[in-house]
Parts: sequence; structure tokens; C-alpha cells
Amino acid sequence: MELLRLFIIDALFASVPAVGFAMVFNVPKKMLIYCAIGGAFAHSLRFLLMNFGLHIEWATLMASSSMGFIGLYWSRKRLIPRPVFTVASVIPMIPGSFAFTTVIGLVELNTAGYTIEVMQIVTENGLKTLFILGALSFGLALPSILIYRGRPIV
Amino acid sequence: MSLSHEQQTELTRIAVKAGQILHQHGAESRLVEQTTQRIGIALGAQSIELSVSSDAIVITSLFEGHCVTTTRRCYDSGINMQMVCDVLRICIMLEKQLLDASQVKERLNRLKPYKYNRWLVVVMIGFSCASFSHFFGGDWPVYFTTFFASAGAMILRQELAHRHHNPFVNFALAAFLATTIASIGVMLEIGDNPQIAMAASVLLLVPGFPLINAVSDMLKGHISTGIARWVFATLLTTSVAIGIVGSMTLTGVSGWLH
Repeated sequence: MELLRLFIIDALFASVPAVGFAMVFNVPKKMLIYCAIGGAFAHSLRFLLMNFGLHIEWATLMASSSMGFIGLYWSRKRLIPRPVFTVASVIPMIPGSFAFTTVIGLVELNTAGYTIEVMQIVTENGLKTLFILGALSFGLALPSILIYRGRPIV
Repeated sequence: MSLSHEQQTELTRIAVKAGQILHQHGAESRLVEQTTQRIGIALGAQSIELSVSSDAIVITSLFEGHCVTTTRRCYDSGINMQMVCDVLRICIMLEKQLLDASQVKERLNRLKPYKYNRWLVVVMIGFSCASFSHFFGGDWPVYFTTFFASAGAMILRQELAHRHHNPFVNFALAAFLATTIASIGVMLEIGDNPQIAMAASVLLLVPGFPLINAVSDMLKGHISTGIARWVFATLLTTSVAIGIVGSMTLTGVSGWLH
């Protein structure tokens, strides 16, 4: 029961950044609701999978590939290119904090000198950034890589 | 179907216009390529050969041994999905023969990028970053610190973008402002763990779209555009980090790495 409550709260909080960033990308008004649903779905799915002990990269891959297939369905239905909903929907999962920590660590290595601790932070966060980002984009691209293979989706 | 040289030139111009609009408004390379080819072929060309690079497109239309080639520079005019949707809609209508060449040209020229009300965007981005602070484990006071920090940064970002400042300068200054506002929260000890606000309030500056486009371009075979987008996104991230470090050095408040 507690898990369900956390799951719903996670979904609600994830839908806000999906819509916010969709507006920065100027997604048409009628599509914002899809971004909200997609963002809530993808992030809460990842939350659930991570709760079951999956690593963040694999959870991200599964969440973003399901988002890719949902986006495929919506895109065929509404005749809208897929990135319009899918990219905004996965924005809450972008490893922004990891990326900034990596670069701030690099700046620190330069100014304060090399230490193992900072180097460890840089390496760990940098690798997390790369793998989560790869999982996100690969998951979203999966329908066009596996099914459509060069044919246009809409 | 036969095409005169003028018609072929006109067709090439229409196709390149569509590709240029898509490229300028942040579509991935494959979408640019496919849509341009579809428009050109629907208008009667036998094939459309297209070379997409990070800031220009070169297109050649072929018809019975005649080639027409043209190049367009694609200056970045900001991500705008509504323009991408509209171009694709025109392409589909053309393929279903609801439009002819002159109507397509007129519609493409008439497209105007729609922008949301900027204050609405500021408020929504404020709440977005505040929601990120919730994911990092922040409580309600931290939520509102993050809201004000990121909304302030968004106002600055829009203002600088409106004046056509360099995006790297823009992002560094916005990161500086967000971190400075959030570090006031740390100094006044607002909330349980006010450092979270420093991490969450700069997330509006993550170049998410360029990063995802970069990887998906590379996955779909457009390695060089993918690398260009990746480098651009990395530079933006670096300038954000420099803005954050500058602010932390000035205020003496440390919210990262510890």
C-alpha cells in the first residue's frame, strides 16, 4: 500500500517537468496531455523497477523503450512525429545532476588539484551519465530500429 | 509525368525549404532526410539525395538525368516541435494529393513558430525544477526555494535568448543566478537539506533535447551530425558547470561533490 502511494506521488510529480519542458520545446497545446501521461508513466515505471532492485540503467532502458512503443502508437494515431511526445516524456529521467556533478568535479580537479575522491566522483558520475543517456535514447529509438528500419513512421 | 527545368528547380526549392525548417527547429537528422525525400518524390522527382550536416543541408534532385543541387544554411532557431508537426502535416497532405506544389510552397512560407506565453513557461519551469527537488528528497521549504531559483534563472535565460546572446554565455549566467538564489536558502537554512535546492534549480539548463538527438542520430547512421550535437550539448553542460562553480566560489556555499 505504501509502495502504491509512493508510486502515485512519483507519477504526479513526474508529469509536471514533462509538461514544463514540453512547453519549452513548444509542443502543440493538444499534445501536452500526452507528454504529461508519458512523463508520469515512464518515470513511475522506472521508480517501480528500481524499487524491485533493478539498476538505474536497466530500469531506464525498460521505461524508455516502453515509452518508445507508446509513442509509436500515439504517433500513428495522431499523425505527429514521435519525438514530439517521447522526448518531453523522458526529460524527467535525463541524468542532469550526474552530468553537472561530473563537470563540476573536473573543474575542481583543475583548481584544487588531483585527489582520488574527486576523481572517483567524476568517473562514477560520468559513467552513470553516459549509460543512462545511452539507455534513454536507445530505448526511444527501439521501434524505428527494430520494426520500421528506415521506413517513415508517419 | 514530365518536369521542365524550372519545375524541377522549384521542386528542389520547396523540398529544401521543408528540410531547412525541420533542421532549424530541432528535428533529428533522419526525420529531416525522410521528410525532404518524401516531399521531393511526391512533387515528381525521381530521387532526392540529401546531405545533412550540423549547420547546413545540401540537396540534389534527380529527374531523367538532370540534377538540380542547392544548399541552405540552417541557423539554430530554437527547438520548436509545433513547426516540426506542421511541416510533417504538409508532407502527409501532399502525399495524399490534397495540396499541389504552389500550395505547399505557400503553406511552408506562411508557417510561424508558435511560442507559449513566457510567464506561463517561467512558472511551469519553476514547478518542474521544484518537482525534481522532490525526487532528490527535498521537503516543502526546499521545494519553494527551488521554485524561485529556477524561475529566476528561466526569466534571465529567456531575456538573454531574446537578445540573441551566445547560448554558452546565456547558460553560464542563468546557472550562476540559479545557484546564487538557491545558496541564499542554504545560508538562511531554509528546510531540512537546502543543498538539494542548489542541485535541482539548475536542471532547467540540462540540454536534454540535443543529447537525446545526438545519440539517436548516431544510432541511425548520422554519425557526424550526432557528434556535432553531442559536442554542443557537452559545451553547454560545461558552461553551466562553470556558472555553478563561479557562484559557489563567490558565496562560499558548497552544494555539490560533498
